[in-house]
Amino acid sequence: MGQNFQETMKFKVQKEQAADTKEILQKVYDALKQKGYNPINQIVGYILSGDPAYITSFNNARNLIRKLERDELLEELLKNYIEES
Amino acid sequence: MSGFIIEGGSKLSGTVKISSAKNAVLPVIAASLLTEADCIIEDAPELEDVRVMKEVLMSLGAKVSCESKSIKINAAPINSFEAPYDLVRKMRASFLVMGPLLARKGKARISMPGGCAIGSRPIDLHLKGFASLGAEIELGHGFVEARCEKLRGATIYLDFPSVGATENIMMAAALAEGQTVVENAAKEPEIIDLANFLNSMGAHIRGAGTDLIKIEGVRELKGISYTVIPDRIETGTFLVAGAITGGNILLENVVSEHLKPVIAKLIECGAQIIEEPDGLRVIGDGRPLPSDVKTLPYPGFPTDMQAQIMAFLSLASGTSMIIETVFENRFMHVEELRRMGARIKIEGRSAVIEGVEKLSGAPVKATDLRAGAALILAGLAAEGTTTVMNAHHVERGYEDIAGKLSALGANIKKIE
Repeated sequence: MGQNFQETMKFKVQKEQAADTKEILQKVYDALKQKGYNPINQIVGYILSGDPAYITSFNNARNLIRKLERDELLEELLKNYIEES
Repeated sequence: MSGFIIEGGSKLSGTVKISSAKNAVLPVIAASLLTEADCIIEDAPELEDVRVMKEVLMSLGAKVSCESKSIKINAAPINSFEAPYDLVRKMRASFLVMGPLLARKGKARISMPGGCAIGSRPIDLHLKGFASLGAEIELGHGFVEARCEKLRGATIYLDFPSVGATENIMMAAALAEGQTVVENAAKEPEIIDLANFLNSMGAHIRGAGTDLIKIEGVRELKGISYTVIPDRIETGTFLVAGAITGGNILLENVVSEHLKPVIAKLIECGAQIIEEPDGLRVIGDGRPLPSDVKTLPYPGFPTDMQAQIMAFLSLASGTSMIIETVFENRFMHVEELRRMGARIKIEGRSAVIEGVEKLSGAPVKATDLRAGAALILAGLAAEGTTTVMNAHHVERGYEDIAGKLSALGANIKKIE
Protein backbone atom coordinates (compact mmCIF):
# COMPACT_ATOMS: atom_id res chain seq x y z
CA MET A 1 0.00 0.00 0.00
CA GLY A 2 1.27 3.42 -0.90
CA GLN A 3 4.39 1.99 -2.55
CA ASN A 4 5.77 3.54 -5.71
CA PHE A 5 5.41 0.78 -8.26
CA GLN A 6 7.50 2.78 -10.77
CA GLU A 7 10.64 1.97 -8.75
CA THR A 8 12.63 -1.19 -9.07
CA MET A 9 11.67 -3.65 -6.38
CA LYS A 10 13.40 -6.75 -5.12
CA PHE A 11 11.30 -9.82 -4.51
CA LYS A 12 12.65 -12.65 -2.42
CA VAL A 13 11.87 -15.93 -4.08
CA GLN A 14 11.84 -19.29 -2.31
CA LYS A 15 15.05 -20.47 -3.90
CA GLU A 16 16.95 -17.47 -2.63
CA GLN A 17 15.56 -18.05 0.87
CA ALA A 18 16.82 -21.63 0.75
CA ALA A 19 20.24 -20.41 -0.33
CA ASP A 20 20.31 -17.90 2.57
CA THR A 21 19.35 -20.61 5.04
CA LYS A 22 22.06 -22.93 3.76
CA GLU A 23 24.68 -20.19 3.88
CA ILE A 24 23.74 -19.14 7.40
CA LEU A 25 23.61 -22.73 8.64
CA GLN A 26 27.00 -23.43 7.13
CA LYS A 27 28.54 -20.35 8.79
CA VAL A 28 26.96 -21.23 12.15
CA TYR A 29 28.13 -24.84 11.78
CA ASP A 30 31.68 -23.71 11.05
CA ALA A 31 31.76 -21.29 13.98
CA LEU A 32 30.52 -23.96 16.39
CA LYS A 33 33.06 -26.45 15.07
CA GLN A 34 35.89 -23.96 15.39
CA LYS A 35 34.92 -23.35 19.01
CA GLY A 36 35.10 -27.09 19.72
CA TYR A 37 31.38 -27.85 19.95
CA ASN A 38 29.49 -30.69 18.30
CA PRO A 39 27.68 -28.43 15.78
CA ILE A 40 24.77 -30.79 15.09
CA ASN A 41 24.07 -31.22 18.81
CA GLN A 42 24.12 -27.45 19.33
CA ILE A 43 21.90 -26.63 16.34
CA VAL A 44 19.41 -29.35 17.38
CA GLY A 45 19.39 -27.82 20.87
CA TYR A 46 18.68 -24.40 19.39
CA ILE A 47 15.84 -25.69 17.22
CA LEU A 48 14.27 -27.52 20.18
CA SER A 49 14.59 -24.76 22.77
CA GLY A 50 14.80 -21.55 20.74
CA ASP A 51 17.56 -20.36 23.03
CA PRO A 52 20.48 -18.68 21.24
CA ALA A 53 22.74 -19.65 24.17
CA TYR A 54 23.26 -22.86 22.16
CA ILE A 55 24.99 -20.89 19.43
CA THR A 56 28.38 -19.33 20.03
CA SER A 57 28.76 -15.59 19.54
CA PHE A 58 32.07 -16.38 17.78
CA ASN A 59 32.15 -15.08 14.18
CA ASN A 60 28.74 -13.47 14.68
CA ALA A 61 27.08 -16.92 14.58
CA ARG A 62 24.51 -16.07 17.26
CA ASN A 63 23.29 -13.02 15.36
CA LEU A 64 23.23 -14.96 12.10
CA ILE A 65 21.00 -17.75 13.42
CA ARG A 66 18.59 -15.13 14.77
CA LYS A 67 17.93 -14.06 11.17
CA LEU A 68 16.15 -17.36 10.56
CA GLU A 69 12.73 -18.15 11.98
CA ARG A 70 12.95 -21.54 13.67
CA ASP A 71 9.83 -22.93 11.97
CA GLU A 72 11.17 -21.89 8.57
CA LEU A 73 14.55 -23.38 9.37
CA LEU A 74 12.97 -26.68 10.33
CA GLU A 75 10.79 -26.59 7.21
CA GLU A 76 13.84 -26.02 5.02
CA LEU A 77 15.73 -28.88 6.68
CA LEU A 78 12.80 -31.28 6.30
CA LYS A 79 12.18 -30.29 2.69
CA ASN A 80 15.82 -30.73 1.87
CA TYR A 81 15.95 -34.11 3.60
CA ILE A 82 12.84 -35.43 1.86
CA GLU A 83 13.88 -34.13 -1.55
CA GLU A 84 17.42 -35.46 -1.24
CA SER A 85 16.44 -38.92 -0.06
CA MET B 1 28.68 -2.13 58.00
CA SER B 2 29.07 -1.26 54.31
CA GLY B 3 26.49 0.39 52.11
CA PHE B 4 25.79 2.66 49.15
CA ILE B 5 25.03 6.37 49.27
CA ILE B 6 22.95 7.54 46.33
CA GLU B 7 22.02 11.07 45.40
CA GLY B 8 18.94 10.63 43.23
CA GLY B 9 17.82 12.53 40.18
CA SER B 10 20.51 11.87 37.56
CA LYS B 11 19.36 10.60 34.18
CA LEU B 12 21.63 7.73 33.21
CA SER B 13 23.32 7.76 29.83
CA GLY B 14 26.14 5.89 28.12
CA THR B 15 27.12 2.27 27.65
CA VAL B 16 27.43 -0.52 30.19
CA LYS B 17 28.89 -3.98 29.67
CA ILE B 18 26.92 -6.72 31.36
CA SER B 19 29.00 -9.25 33.30
CA SER B 20 28.92 -13.01 32.97
CA ALA B 21 26.03 -14.62 34.80
CA LYS B 22 26.42 -15.45 38.48
CA ASN B 23 23.89 -18.25 38.23
CA ALA B 24 25.74 -19.74 35.25
CA VAL B 25 29.30 -19.44 36.54
CA LEU B 26 28.62 -21.12 39.90
CA PRO B 27 27.45 -24.47 38.45
CA VAL B 28 30.24 -24.32 35.86
CA ILE B 29 32.83 -23.93 38.65
CA ALA B 30 31.23 -26.90 40.46
CA ALA B 31 31.23 -28.95 37.23
CA SER B 32 35.00 -28.46 36.93
CA LEU B 33 35.24 -31.08 39.70
CA LEU B 34 34.16 -33.70 37.16
CA THR B 35 37.55 -33.83 35.44
CA GLU B 36 41.16 -34.22 36.49
CA ALA B 37 42.23 -31.88 33.68
CA ASP B 38 42.49 -28.08 33.82
CA CYS B 39 39.34 -26.04 33.29
CA ILE B 40 39.61 -22.34 32.61
CA ILE B 41 36.63 -20.06 33.07
CA GLU B 42 37.21 -16.84 31.17
CA ASP B 43 35.74 -13.45 32.04
CA ALA B 44 34.32 -14.70 35.34
CA PRO B 45 32.47 -12.06 37.34
CA GLU B 46 34.22 -10.81 40.49
CA LEU B 47 31.46 -11.57 42.97
CA GLU B 48 31.31 -12.66 46.59
CA ASP B 49 29.43 -15.85 45.63
CA VAL B 50 32.14 -16.75 43.11
CA ARG B 51 34.80 -16.24 45.78
CA VAL B 52 32.89 -18.55 48.15
CA MET B 53 32.51 -21.22 45.44
CA LYS B 54 36.28 -21.10 44.75
CA GLU B 55 36.90 -21.57 48.47
CA VAL B 56 34.54 -24.56 48.53
CA LEU B 57 36.57 -26.18 45.74
CA MET B 58 39.86 -25.41 47.47
CA SER B 59 38.52 -26.90 50.72
CA LEU B 60 37.93 -30.12 48.77
CA GLY B 61 41.57 -30.10 47.64
CA ALA B 62 41.21 -28.62 44.15
CA LYS B 63 43.83 -26.18 42.90
CA VAL B 64 42.23 -22.84 42.01
CA SER B 65 44.15 -19.87 40.65
CA CYS B 66 43.00 -16.57 39.19
CA GLU B 67 44.63 -14.38 36.61
CA SER B 68 42.89 -11.19 35.57
CA LYS B 69 39.29 -12.39 35.25
CA SER B 70 40.10 -16.01 34.43
CA ILE B 71 39.72 -18.81 36.95
CA LYS B 72 41.85 -21.91 36.45
CA ILE B 73 40.68 -25.03 38.24
CA ASN B 74 42.40 -28.36 38.55
CA ALA B 75 40.40 -30.90 40.49
CA ALA B 76 42.83 -33.83 40.08
CA PRO B 77 44.05 -33.61 43.69
CA ILE B 78 40.65 -33.52 45.43
CA ASN B 79 41.06 -35.46 48.63
CA SER B 80 37.96 -34.55 50.58
CA PHE B 81 34.30 -35.29 50.02
CA GLU B 82 32.96 -32.83 52.55
CA ALA B 83 32.04 -29.19 51.91
CA PRO B 84 32.52 -27.29 55.18
CA TYR B 85 29.59 -25.75 57.02
CA ASP B 86 31.17 -22.28 57.21
CA LEU B 87 31.16 -21.96 53.43
CA VAL B 88 27.94 -23.78 52.58
CA ARG B 89 25.88 -21.71 55.02
CA LYS B 90 27.06 -18.56 53.21
CA MET B 91 25.89 -19.66 49.80
CA ARG B 92 23.19 -22.04 48.74
CA ALA B 93 24.83 -22.81 45.39
CA SER B 94 27.67 -24.61 47.17
CA PHE B 95 25.27 -27.56 47.30
CA LEU B 96 26.02 -27.91 43.57
CA VAL B 97 29.31 -29.66 44.37
CA MET B 98 27.34 -32.66 45.60
CA GLY B 99 26.55 -34.12 42.15
CA PRO B 100 30.14 -33.82 40.82
CA LEU B 101 31.64 -35.16 44.08
CA LEU B 102 29.33 -38.14 44.03
CA ALA B 103 30.20 -38.84 40.40
CA ARG B 104 33.97 -38.47 40.95
CA LYS B 105 34.49 -39.83 44.48
CA GLY B 106 31.37 -41.94 45.10
CA LYS B 107 30.74 -39.98 48.27
CA ALA B 108 29.68 -36.46 49.23
CA ARG B 109 28.80 -34.85 52.52
CA ILE B 110 27.38 -31.33 52.55
CA SER B 111 25.93 -29.10 55.24
CA MET B 112 22.37 -27.94 54.71
CA PRO B 113 22.63 -24.91 52.42
CA GLY B 114 22.19 -21.21 53.25
CA GLY B 115 21.71 -18.26 50.87
CA CYS B 116 19.25 -15.36 50.78
CA ALA B 117 16.35 -15.74 53.24
CA ILE B 118 13.68 -15.42 50.57
CA GLY B 119 11.76 -18.58 51.36
CA SER B 120 12.02 -22.29 51.72
CA ARG B 121 14.03 -23.92 48.96
CA PRO B 122 14.14 -27.61 49.80
CA ILE B 123 16.89 -29.85 48.53
CA ASP B 124 14.67 -32.91 48.41
CA LEU B 125 14.55 -32.92 44.60
CA HIS B 126 18.36 -33.03 44.42
CA LEU B 127 18.34 -35.99 46.79
CA LYS B 128 15.52 -37.72 44.91
CA GLY B 129 17.65 -37.46 41.79
CA PHE B 130 20.78 -38.87 43.44
CA ALA B 131 18.75 -41.71 44.98
CA SER B 132 17.29 -42.56 41.55
CA LEU B 133 20.85 -42.73 40.19
CA GLY B 134 21.62 -45.35 42.84
CA ALA B 135 23.07 -43.29 45.70
CA GLU B 136 22.28 -44.03 49.34
CA ILE B 137 21.24 -40.89 51.15
CA GLU B 138 21.69 -40.22 54.84
CA LEU B 139 20.27 -37.12 56.49
CA GLY B 140 21.97 -36.13 59.73
CA HIS B 141 21.82 -33.11 62.02
CA GLY B 142 22.47 -30.25 59.63
CA PHE B 143 24.16 -32.31 56.93
CA VAL B 144 23.35 -34.69 54.14
CA GLU B 145 25.55 -37.52 52.95
CA ALA B 146 25.29 -39.49 49.73
CA ARG B 147 27.36 -42.50 48.71
CA CYS B 148 27.41 -44.99 45.90
CA GLU B 149 29.57 -47.65 44.25
CA LYS B 150 28.73 -46.41 40.77
CA LEU B 151 25.95 -44.10 39.60
CA ARG B 152 23.58 -45.69 37.08
CA GLY B 153 21.33 -43.85 34.63
CA ALA B 154 17.64 -43.60 35.45
CA THR B 155 14.48 -41.72 34.56
CA ILE B 156 13.83 -38.95 37.08
CA TYR B 157 10.63 -36.92 37.21
CA LEU B 158 11.06 -33.62 39.05
CA ASP B 159 7.92 -32.62 40.97
CA PHE B 160 8.90 -29.00 40.40
CA PRO B 161 11.26 -27.72 37.66
CA SER B 162 14.05 -26.92 40.13
CA VAL B 163 17.10 -25.26 38.55
CA GLY B 164 19.54 -26.52 41.19
CA ALA B 165 18.22 -30.09 41.10
CA THR B 166 18.32 -30.18 37.30
CA GLU B 167 21.94 -28.96 37.34
CA ASN B 168 23.06 -31.30 40.11
CA ILE B 169 21.48 -34.32 38.39
CA MET B 170 22.98 -33.35 35.00
CA MET B 171 26.45 -33.18 36.51
CA ALA B 172 26.12 -36.47 38.41
CA ALA B 173 24.61 -38.26 35.39
CA ALA B 174 27.35 -37.02 33.03
CA LEU B 175 29.66 -39.70 34.46
CA ALA B 176 26.99 -42.30 35.31
CA GLU B 177 26.62 -45.63 33.57
CA GLY B 178 23.92 -45.54 30.85
CA GLN B 179 21.23 -43.02 30.03
CA THR B 180 19.53 -40.63 32.44
CA VAL B 181 16.31 -38.84 31.52
CA VAL B 182 15.19 -35.80 33.52
CA GLU B 183 11.49 -35.11 33.07
CA ASN B 184 9.90 -31.78 34.02
CA ALA B 185 13.40 -30.30 34.02
CA ALA B 186 14.00 -26.58 34.55
CA LYS B 187 14.42 -24.66 31.28
CA GLU B 188 16.51 -21.69 32.43
CA PRO B 189 19.31 -20.43 30.13
CA GLU B 190 21.81 -21.30 32.87
CA ILE B 191 20.88 -24.98 32.38
CA ILE B 192 21.75 -24.69 28.68
CA ASP B 193 25.01 -23.00 29.56
CA LEU B 194 25.95 -25.82 31.93
CA ALA B 195 25.04 -28.37 29.23
CA ASN B 196 27.22 -26.46 26.76
CA PHE B 197 30.10 -26.54 29.23
CA LEU B 198 29.69 -30.26 29.95
CA ASN B 199 29.23 -31.16 26.28
CA SER B 200 32.41 -29.24 25.43
CA MET B 201 34.13 -31.42 28.04
CA GLY B 202 32.90 -34.51 26.20
CA ALA B 203 29.55 -35.17 27.89
CA HIS B 204 26.49 -36.25 25.89
CA ILE B 205 23.57 -34.09 26.98
CA ARG B 206 20.57 -33.27 24.81
CA GLY B 207 17.39 -31.32 25.39
CA ALA B 208 18.70 -28.69 27.85
CA GLY B 209 16.33 -25.73 27.70
CA THR B 210 13.34 -28.03 27.27
CA ASP B 211 11.51 -29.98 29.96
CA LEU B 212 13.09 -33.28 28.88
CA ILE B 213 16.85 -33.67 29.19
CA LYS B 214 18.69 -36.83 28.17
CA ILE B 215 22.18 -37.53 29.46
CA GLU B 216 24.24 -40.42 28.10
CA GLY B 217 26.93 -41.10 30.67
CA VAL B 218 30.59 -41.12 29.56
CA ARG B 219 33.68 -42.59 31.25
CA GLU B 220 35.61 -39.35 31.59
CA LEU B 221 35.54 -35.67 30.74
CA LYS B 222 38.32 -33.43 29.49
CA GLY B 223 39.39 -29.94 30.51
CA ILE B 224 38.33 -26.90 28.49
CA SER B 225 38.33 -23.13 28.42
CA TYR B 226 34.87 -21.58 28.61
CA THR B 227 33.03 -18.26 28.89
CA VAL B 228 29.57 -18.29 30.46
CA ILE B 229 26.49 -16.43 29.20
CA PRO B 230 25.72 -12.81 30.17
CA ASP B 231 23.79 -12.21 33.38
CA ARG B 232 20.12 -11.79 32.49
CA ILE B 233 19.20 -10.43 35.93
CA GLU B 234 21.94 -7.80 35.82
CA THR B 235 20.70 -6.95 32.31
CA GLY B 236 17.14 -6.58 33.61
CA THR B 237 18.33 -4.47 36.54
CA PHE B 238 20.16 -2.06 34.22
CA LEU B 239 17.14 -1.90 31.89
CA VAL B 240 15.07 -0.77 34.88
CA ALA B 241 17.85 1.66 35.88
CA GLY B 242 17.63 3.29 32.45
CA ALA B 243 13.84 3.40 32.50
CA ILE B 244 13.38 4.58 36.10
CA THR B 245 15.78 7.51 35.69
CA GLY B 246 14.38 8.60 32.31
CA GLY B 247 17.78 7.79 30.90
CA ASN B 248 19.15 6.44 27.63
CA ILE B 249 21.64 3.61 27.99
CA LEU B 250 23.07 0.89 25.80
CA LEU B 251 23.64 -2.51 27.39
CA GLU B 252 26.38 -4.57 25.75
CA ASN B 253 26.90 -8.33 26.08
CA VAL B 254 23.25 -9.31 26.40
CA VAL B 255 21.04 -12.12 25.09
CA SER B 256 17.69 -10.37 24.74
CA GLU B 257 15.80 -13.68 24.31
CA HIS B 258 16.53 -14.42 27.97
CA LEU B 259 14.59 -11.37 29.07
CA LYS B 260 11.43 -11.43 27.00
CA PRO B 261 8.97 -11.00 29.91
CA VAL B 262 10.99 -8.16 31.47
CA ILE B 263 11.32 -6.36 28.14
CA ALA B 264 7.60 -6.85 27.44
CA LYS B 265 6.67 -5.35 30.84
CA LEU B 266 8.98 -2.37 30.46
CA ILE B 267 7.54 -1.63 27.01
CA GLU B 268 4.02 -2.00 28.45
CA CYS B 269 5.01 0.59 31.06
CA GLY B 270 6.10 3.05 28.36
CA ALA B 271 9.87 2.52 28.16
CA GLN B 272 11.49 2.15 24.76
CA ILE B 273 13.66 -0.94 24.31
CA ILE B 274 15.57 -1.09 21.05
CA GLU B 275 17.64 -4.01 19.74
CA GLU B 276 20.84 -2.60 18.26
CA PRO B 277 23.73 -4.46 16.62
CA ASP B 278 25.87 -3.89 19.73
CA GLY B 279 23.23 -4.61 22.34
CA LEU B 280 20.03 -3.45 23.87
CA ARG B 281 19.12 0.22 24.32
CA VAL B 282 16.64 1.43 26.93
CA ILE B 283 15.11 4.88 26.87
CA GLY B 284 12.92 6.01 29.75
CA ASP B 285 10.51 8.88 29.46
CA GLY B 286 8.28 10.20 32.24
CA ARG B 287 6.32 8.20 34.79
CA PRO B 288 5.78 4.55 33.97
CA LEU B 289 2.30 3.28 33.18
CA PRO B 290 0.92 0.81 35.72
CA SER B 291 1.09 -2.90 34.99
CA ASP B 292 0.46 -6.27 36.61
CA VAL B 293 3.26 -8.80 37.02
CA LYS B 294 3.20 -12.46 38.06
CA THR B 295 6.48 -14.26 38.71
CA LEU B 296 6.86 -17.74 37.22
CA PRO B 297 9.60 -20.25 36.43
CA TYR B 298 11.44 -19.53 33.16
CA PRO B 299 10.35 -18.46 30.57
CA GLY B 300 7.91 -16.53 32.77
CA PHE B 301 8.71 -13.29 34.58
CA PRO B 302 11.76 -14.03 36.79
CA THR B 303 11.31 -13.86 40.55
CA ASP B 304 14.84 -12.40 40.64
CA MET B 305 13.46 -9.26 38.90
CA GLN B 306 10.36 -8.88 41.08
CA ALA B 307 11.85 -6.41 43.58
CA GLN B 308 13.38 -4.24 40.85
CA ILE B 309 10.14 -4.01 38.85
CA MET B 310 8.32 -3.16 42.08
CA ALA B 311 10.63 -0.19 42.64
CA PHE B 312 9.82 0.91 39.08
CA LEU B 313 6.04 0.44 39.46
CA SER B 314 6.04 2.35 42.74
CA LEU B 315 6.42 5.45 40.55
CA ALA B 316 3.70 4.48 38.05
CA SER B 317 0.77 6.70 37.16
CA GLY B 318 -1.76 4.25 38.58
CA THR B 319 -2.17 1.05 40.54
CA SER B 320 -0.22 -2.12 39.75
CA MET B 321 -0.24 -5.60 41.20
CA ILE B 322 2.59 -8.09 41.63
CA ILE B 323 1.93 -11.73 42.43
CA GLU B 324 4.94 -13.70 43.66
CA THR B 325 4.34 -17.37 42.93
CA VAL B 326 7.89 -18.74 43.20
CA PHE B 327 8.99 -17.88 46.77
CA GLU B 328 6.77 -17.30 49.78
CA ASN B 329 8.90 -14.72 51.58
CA ARG B 330 10.08 -12.37 48.90
CA PHE B 331 8.48 -9.05 49.82
CA MET B 332 11.01 -7.95 52.42
CA HIS B 333 11.96 -4.94 50.29
CA VAL B 334 8.41 -3.57 50.59
CA GLU B 335 8.95 -2.21 54.09
CA GLU B 336 12.09 -0.41 52.90
CA LEU B 337 10.42 0.99 49.76
CA ARG B 338 7.63 2.31 52.00
CA ARG B 339 10.27 4.21 53.97
CA MET B 340 11.04 6.02 50.73
CA GLY B 341 7.39 6.99 50.22
CA ALA B 342 6.13 4.07 48.13
CA ARG B 343 2.51 3.02 48.72
CA ILE B 344 2.45 -0.75 48.74
CA LYS B 345 0.09 -3.17 50.46
CA ILE B 346 0.81 -6.86 50.89
CA GLU B 347 -1.85 -9.54 50.96
CA GLY B 348 -0.36 -13.02 51.09
CA ARG B 349 1.69 -13.47 47.94
CA SER B 350 0.25 -10.34 46.26
CA ALA B 351 1.44 -6.76 46.45
CA VAL B 352 -0.75 -3.83 45.41
CA ILE B 353 1.34 -0.82 44.40
CA GLU B 354 -0.34 2.53 44.22
CA GLY B 355 2.06 4.62 42.18
CA VAL B 356 3.36 7.87 43.68
CA GLU B 357 4.74 10.86 41.84
CA LYS B 358 8.01 10.91 43.74
CA LEU B 359 10.05 8.78 46.09
CA SER B 360 12.18 10.47 48.69
CA GLY B 361 15.64 9.44 49.79
CA ALA B 362 15.89 7.63 53.13
CA PRO B 363 18.20 5.28 55.03
CA VAL B 364 17.17 1.74 54.09
CA LYS B 365 18.69 -1.72 54.32
CA ALA B 366 19.10 -4.50 51.79
CA THR B 367 17.50 -7.63 53.18
CA ASP B 368 18.67 -9.81 50.31
CA LEU B 369 20.49 -9.55 47.00
CA ARG B 370 17.65 -8.45 44.68
CA ALA B 371 15.98 -6.35 47.39
CA GLY B 372 19.26 -4.41 47.60
CA ALA B 373 19.26 -3.86 43.83
CA ALA B 374 15.66 -2.60 43.99
CA LEU B 375 16.53 -0.11 46.72
CA ILE B 376 19.48 1.20 44.70
CA LEU B 377 17.12 1.68 41.73
CA ALA B 378 14.61 3.48 43.94
CA GLY B 379 17.44 5.64 45.28
CA LEU B 380 18.51 6.60 41.73
CA ALA B 381 15.00 7.93 41.04
CA ALA B 382 14.29 9.42 44.48
CA GLU B 383 14.63 13.02 45.55
CA GLY B 384 17.49 13.49 48.00
CA THR B 385 19.92 11.03 49.53
CA THR B 386 19.34 7.32 49.99
CA THR B 387 21.65 5.12 52.01
CA VAL B 388 21.33 1.42 51.26
CA MET B 389 23.00 -0.56 54.02
CA ASN B 390 24.14 -4.21 53.86
CA ALA B 391 26.08 -3.80 50.62
CA HIS B 392 27.37 -7.36 51.03
CA HIS B 393 24.02 -8.75 49.89
CA VAL B 394 24.23 -6.75 46.65
CA GLU B 395 27.87 -7.68 46.09
CA ARG B 396 26.94 -11.36 46.11
CA GLY B 397 25.40 -10.92 42.68
CA TYR B 398 26.33 -7.58 41.06
CA GLU B 399 29.86 -6.93 39.87
CA ASP B 400 30.97 -3.39 40.74
CA ILE B 401 27.42 -2.02 40.63
CA ALA B 402 28.46 1.35 42.03
CA GLY B 403 31.27 1.71 39.46
CA LYS B 404 29.02 0.74 36.56
CA LEU B 405 26.23 3.12 37.62
CA SER B 406 28.72 5.94 38.25
CA ALA B 407 30.09 5.51 34.74
CA LEU B 408 26.53 6.05 33.48
CA GLY B 409 26.27 9.32 35.40
CA ALA B 410 24.68 8.14 38.64
CA ASN B 411 25.72 9.81 41.85
CA ILE B 412 26.48 6.70 43.90
CA LYS B 413 29.37 5.68 46.08
CA LYS B 414 30.15 2.77 48.27
CA ILE B 415 30.88 3.28 51.96
CA GLU B 416 32.70 0.78 54.16
